Amino acid sequence: MNNFLLSFFFLSIFAWYLSFLATRLNRLHHRVETSWANLDGLLQRRAAVAIEIARSEISDPAASLLLTFAAHQAREATVRDRSQAETGLTGALGILIENSADTQNPLEQELLLELKDLTAKIKVAIAMHVESVTRTQMVRKKLFIRVFRLAGSAPEPVTYEFEGDVF
Amino acid sequence: MPLTKKRIGIVCPYGWDTPGGVKSHIGDLAEYLIAQGHTVSVLAPSASDENLPSYVTSAGRPISIAYNGAVARLLFGPVAFSRVKSWIADGDFDVLHLHEPAIPSISLLACWAAEGPMVGTFHAASARKKIAFAITPFVEPVVEKLNARIAVSEAARETLQIHLDTDAMVVPNGIYAGRYADATIDPRWSGNTIGFIGRFEEYRKGLSVLIEALPQILSRIPDIRILIAGPGDPESFLEKLEPHLRNRFTFLGTISESDKANFMASVGIYVAPNTGGESFGIILAEALAAGAAVLASDIPAFDSLLGGGEYGTLFESENAHDLADKAIALLEDPVHRSAIAKKGHDYAQSFDWDVVAERIYDVYEMAMVGGKGVTLASDNRAWNRLLGRSNE
Repeated sequence: MNNFLLSFFFLSIFAWYLSFLATRLNRLHHRVETSWANLDGLLQRRAAVAIEIARSEISDPAASLLLTFAAHQAREATVRDRSQAETGLTGALGILIENSADTQNPLEQELLLELKDLTAKIKVAIAMHVESVTRTQMVRKKLFIRVFRLAGSAPEPVTYEFEGDVF
Repeated sequence: MPLTKKRIGIVCPYGWDTPGGVKSHIGDLAEYLIAQGHTVSVLAPSASDENLPSYVTSAGRPISIAYNGAVARLLFGPVAFSRVKSWIADGDFDVLHLHEPAIPSISLLACWAAEGPMVGTFHAASARKKIAFAITPFVEPVVEKLNARIAVSEAARETLQIHLDTDAMVVPNGIYAGRYADATIDPRWSGNTIGFIGRFEEYRKGLSVLIEALPQILSRIPDIRILIAGPGDPESFLEKLEPHLRNRFTFLGTISESDKANFMASVGIYVAPNTGGESFGIILAEALAAGAAVLASDIPAFDSLLGGGEYGTLFESENAHDLADKAIALLEDPVHRSAIAKKGHDYAQSFDWDVVAERIYDVYEMAMVGGKGVTLASDNRAWNRLLGRSNE
C-alpha cells in the first residue's frame, strides 16, 4: 500500500513536471510566432518606405531602380531567404542615406526620419526574435521533450541570420 | 512617444527606503513615464508605507542580506508572493518591467506569477557572482518568460551571457543631463583638487585606496586637496590618518543635487576608486555630464561605462600606486585633462533620460505586440479553470 502511494506521488510529480515543460515550450513557440509577426510587419513597413523613397527626389534613377528591386525582392522572399533579401535592402538604403544626408525637402526628411525610427525598432525586434528562436531550439533539444514529443506538431523555428553590423 | 497611454508595472527588488543605483534608476524612469502620460505602478519592498511616492506600492518589509559586497535589502517568501500576485491582478498592466529578475527577490516572484508581455533589466556586472547564479536551473525557465532582456552595460550583458546563456540589448541607466549642463565652477572647489562622492565609510567605495595613494600625490603636487561629499562621520575617519595628511581633507557632508553638479564641474579630477559591487556607475555618467575629468578603478562596470578609458582615465582597482601615477599625470597636464573631459561630456549626452527612456519604451512596445496584457499565470492553468478558481 505504502509503495503504491509513493509511486503515485512520484508519478504525479512527474506528470506535473511534464505539463510544466509543455507549458514552457508552448509559451516559447507562441513567442517565436509573435516576435516573427512583429519583425515581419516592421520589415514590410520598411520596404514600403523604401519604395516611397525610390519614388521621391532623394534618389537618382539608378538608385531608384536598385532600391525598388531590393524592396520587391525583400517583400517576396520566403522565410528562409528573407534575411539575405533584407540585408540587400539595408545595403541599398545605406548607400542612399549616405548620399542624401543634407536634403532640405520636409517631405523627404520625414521619410528619412521614419526610416531611422524603423531601423531602431527593427534592431530590437531582431534581437527579440533571435533570442526566442535560439531559446526554443535549446528547449526542444531537452531529453524529456524529445522522448514525450512535447513539441507536438509545431514546426522547428527557423533561425533568422541577420547581419546586425549592416545597420 | 505614441499617443496611446499604457499601464506599466515596474518591480524593484531592493528596499525603497535605502538609496541605491537600481532604486533611483527605477524612480527616475517611473517619473519620466508618468510625465509622458502613462500610468505607472512600482512594486518595491519598503519598511514603512510613509514617505513613499504615490506610484510606489510596498510589498512588505525587506530582509537584509549580505550580497554583492554590500548589504542588500531584498524580499521574498510566501507573504511577499501573495502580495506580488495581488499587485499583478489589481494592476491590469499592459507590460511588466522587472529589475534584476535573476536574484531571489520579488522580481523573480513576479516573473514566476505573471503571464504576458514582460521586460527584464539586468544590472549586475561581475565575474565573481557565481553564487548568485548558482540557482540558474531554477531561474532559467522563469527568466525565459521575459519577452525582452535589457542589460545596463556591456559588462552586465557579458555576465548574463556567461551565467544564463542568453543575450540582451544594452540600454544604459539614465541621468538628467540637463541638470549638469549648466553647472558652474565654484572657486571653493576648483584648482588642484580631487573630488569624491559617496558613503566614504563603506570599504567598497574605495576611499582607503585614495588615502594610500595620497603621500605619493602629495610629493609631486604639494597643494593637492581632497574634497569628500557624502554621508558619514568625518571625525572618526580623520583620527586614523597621520597628522600631516589630515589638513588635506575637506568633508562637505551630504550635498544638494545642484551643489553636486557644481562640485563635479569644479574639481580638478573626480575620482571613483570603488573596489567592486558597482552595477553601473551612474555617478560617473553624471560626473562626465558635468564636464569633470574622471579617474576610476577598472572594475567591469566602470571600464564599460568609460569605454575602456576613452572617456575617462582608468587605474588598476585597489592599486594605490597606479591611482597616484594617473592622478599626477592628469593634474600636471591640463590640456589632456580638458580634452578627455570634453569627450566625456559629449558622450554623457547619450545617457540622458530623453534618449534612454525612449529606448526603453521602444522595447516595451516590441514586447507588447500581440500581447493582451499581463495576467496571472495561475489563471491560465487548466485545473484552476476547471475548478473555477480564476480571478476573472
